[in-house]
Amino acid sequence: MAMIVDPQRREVRALARATAWRGKRVLEIGCGDGRLTLRLAGLGPRRIAAIDPDAASVRRARAALPARHRRRVEYRVGSALRLPYRARQFDCVVFAWAL
Amino acid sequence: MVHALREAHRVLRPGGVLLDLRPAAEHRRVGIGEGRRWRLIGVMREGFEEDWAADRAVAQVLRERWFRAGRRQVFVLDRVMDGAGDLRTWIAEFQQRRALASHAWLLARTERALERTPGAIVGRGPVRLRPLHRLG
Repeated sequence: MAMIVDPQRREVRALARATAWRGKRVLEIGCGDGRLTLRLAGLGPRRIAAIDPDAASVRRARAALPARHRRRVEYRVGSALRLPYRARQFDCVVFAWAL
Repeated sequence: MVHALREAHRVLRPGGVLLDLRPAAEHRRVGIGEGRRWRLIGVMREGFEEDWAADRAVAQVLRERWFRAGRRQVFVLDRVMDGAGDLRTWIAEFQQRRALASHAWLLARTERALERTPGAIVGRGPVRLRPLHRLG
């Protein structure tokens, strides 16, 4: 059995229209198993920090991260209420179904 | 939620953008068949209290001028499932995140429909994307 979310890729197309991504530093809050993270990586940001409170989901995301994205994408377990990042370090923050 | 938005404001550089991506507060529909062949089987009965709370939090940070709202987009997002087991898993995941009454009726109706017309199960619902530009 398999579940495919957004086969038409409408979500990532809307995100591409919403802002410029190339070369940007991006934080994704609520990354889950990394479904959207990988699509965001395809938009060309310099770096993606992705965070989710669920450790099992983050483990799955790390395991599924293709080698070509390993230098740009970093997954962490953590809460949106206390982000483990310095002030003013991201160009874009995505609340991915997380607010 | 307001605190999470303020944390996002803290880590954003001046002029940066926060993208609030989440399902719209509308009932998701479940059907069989992809694309134009999609046929409605049932409408979910989820509650929207958390969505409305998130809307209020966004309204508050806009009012307090932490952010300025950009142009909103709305699009339909499909979730394609191979079988009733996937639909059961999806509903169970839903129930972990928020209060949701039993949807056994929807599972049963979908299984009956699949017996008549085999095909992919597709959960469908609108998703909103709103840019919030950091102020200050």
